[in-house]
Amino acid sequence: MDMHVYEVFQQQKEGGALVHSGNIQAPDDRLAIHYARELYGRRGESVRLWVIPRDHVLELTDPDLLKPPFDRSYRSVEGYRLRDKLASVRAAREGS
Amino acid sequence: MAVETEATIEERTQAFRDHVTSGGKVEMTDWMPDEYRRSVLKFIEMHANSEIMGVLPEREWINRAPSVRRKLALTSKVQDEVGHGQLLYRLAEDLGKPREQMLEDLMAGRTKFHNVFHYPTHTWADVGIIAWLVDAAAILSQKALLTCSYAPYARTMQKICWEESFHIKHGYDIVLSMMNGTEEQRAMVQEALDRWWGPLMQFHGPPTPVEKDKDLAWRIKSKGNEQLRQEFLSMYVPRILDLGLSIPDPNLRYDEETGRWQYTEPSWEELRSVVTGHGPRSQERLAFRRLNYDQGEWVRQAVMTAS
Amino acid sequence: MHPSTHAYEHGTDQLLRPLLLSLADDDFMLGYRDSEWTGIAPMLEEDIAMSSVSQDEIGHARALYEISVEMGRRATSDEEYGGSPKTIAREVDALAYGREKTEYHSSWLAEHHRGDWAFTIARRYLYETADEVRLEALSGSACTPLANVLTKVRREERYHTMHLRTWLDRLAASPAARPRLLAALHSLWPDALGFWEELEGEDSLVASGAMPLSSEAMRERWLTRITAELEEHGISGPDAGLTPRTGGRRGERSPGFEEFWAEVTQVYRLHPGATW
Repeated sequence: MDMHVYEVFQQQKEGGALVHSGNIQAPDDRLAIHYARELYGRRGESVRLWVIPRDHVLELTDPDLLKPPFDRSYRSVEGYRLRDKLASVRAAREGS
Repeated sequence: MAVETEATIEERTQAFRDHVTSGGKVEMTDWMPDEYRRSVLKFIEMHANSEIMGVLPEREWINRAPSVRRKLALTSKVQDEVGHGQLLYRLAEDLGKPREQMLEDLMAGRTKFHNVFHYPTHTWADVGIIAWLVDAAAILSQKALLTCSYAPYARTMQKICWEESFHIKHGYDIVLSMMNGTEEQRAMVQEALDRWWGPLMQFHGPPTPVEKDKDLAWRIKSKGNEQLRQEFLSMYVPRILDLGLSIPDPNLRYDEETGRWQYTEPSWEELRSVVTGHGPRSQERLAFRRLNYDQGEWVRQAVMTAS
Repeated sequence: MHPSTHAYEHGTDQLLRPLLLSLADDDFMLGYRDSEWTGIAPMLEEDIAMSSVSQDEIGHARALYEISVEMGRRATSDEEYGGSPKTIAREVDALAYGREKTEYHSSWLAEHHRGDWAFTIARRYLYETADEVRLEALSGSACTPLANVLTKVRREERYHTMHLRTWLDRLAASPAARPRLLAALHSLWPDALGFWEELEGEDSLVASGAMPLSSEAMRERWLTRITAELEEHGISGPDAGLTPRTGGRRGERSPGFEEFWAEVTQVYRLHPGATW
């Protein structure tokens, strides 16, 4: 049978992130919209749905690309420990 | 996996096993051992079958619901179960088995569905007891799947558990309304409970040693059969007794010393016989499913060809 | 919400009753008939969609029954109605399930068994297009509570007509399904025309502004619309000389109703007055 799978993303309230909520299958885009509404919106739980043909989703999982092994701490908040340095500056200033 | 190496299937399988036993998750597009794929698929397929077979006994009351509100609630509950069937069959399809094949296998009796859906319904009280207690037993099993190693299944269970929470309240509401009603209504509830208690006690399956339960080893489910039954009894025996209903098992009691419920051993022979298609309504329900499936064949064809 | 308009004056409730009940009973019967697909439709996805539509229809019927209940109360007492939601629900149930069969005003079009999927789609098409015309006209009713409810109803009906037209297109375009669709339409034309049977007391309903258009005027509008739409699919409208099948608006029930109604009211009648 010639059914297509669509991935459905759901925004639960205005301004919120569109979160992947599951998938549906439908023979074409028009019915895909209907079925997405039924499966992910019939309780009024969504203000927006994105219905995307699965064929159009590109997946990237390669850890060599996503979790490279060397240090990248300079890119994150956790990479900066400032408390001791600040204390030392203050101590120097009070001493002067 | 990180760097392509010449790992043997055994090594990959062992690494996979370590991954899931330490709480790791598996996604649809990840490599997985065939045995794992088969186990998850079989588990999900039976769950999906149970959803769409479970609609049949309740569906019999869709036209007979005694008020506008009950009519709407019951229709929407049955609709939810069809929706859950759809979500679960989609998961199974993504694991490699086409939906038509799953439906064919179900209707031919090659795959199973839960024991409770092989029994007849007699009165409106059955609708209340099913929605309250059968759904309660089911939701305990389903909550134990929220930590499933197969992540798409775990995510689907979150949605399903959320939707099911209204089913139990709807069932409890029906039972409470009838218990507040006439003498006959109360008697109807007691009779329904008497009918469903046996199948309810069998629902979670016979106690199985943890080491023999493959689904536990693969972290597909997180709780054993007996543990789920004990949880069910702890939660629902007090609520049932609270309504002035009596439970048809003279041996049922809570043992303070062991911290466990004692009960009359359910008939595992009956359970085995029922789920292999020899229950009081097994063949009738499968035939009804088949009839409607066949009658819908031209519609499915038309949808495909016109698109 | 109690909009105070002349709609609540003494006597008007009796006048408005055939109008309110024909609208409500239609949605109620059709909602019941289509809810019979729940659990057994040709595809799981459609099962869910059809179930939502049938629940909507019953929800619309409930809102319309509520107006009727409220007006009945107002007409017999000078008090504001002020019934608790529970009391209103019970009176709505009594109206929905408790009348004599001759006291229902539904059209036969809405009462028929769901039939096969082609029959269901054909019936829904005829019903929804007719209802569209009816709701459009009655949104301008001088009966404010009715006009208000229908404005909301029309919002929900948008999904129904979208869904339905998708199916009409598909069945009409599929060589295997088309003959089934045509046969269903053919068998339903007399009932579709009968949908527009004159209501009890229609002259006064029109004169008072409760009905901005007569049934006949609405029927003409509807016929023009669907004839044009069906033509796009190469399907012809009803034959000019076709006799409408009428009676539904005046208490005659369709064949098969007896059995259906026995099932629908089975539990309700078990212990009259009981709460379930």
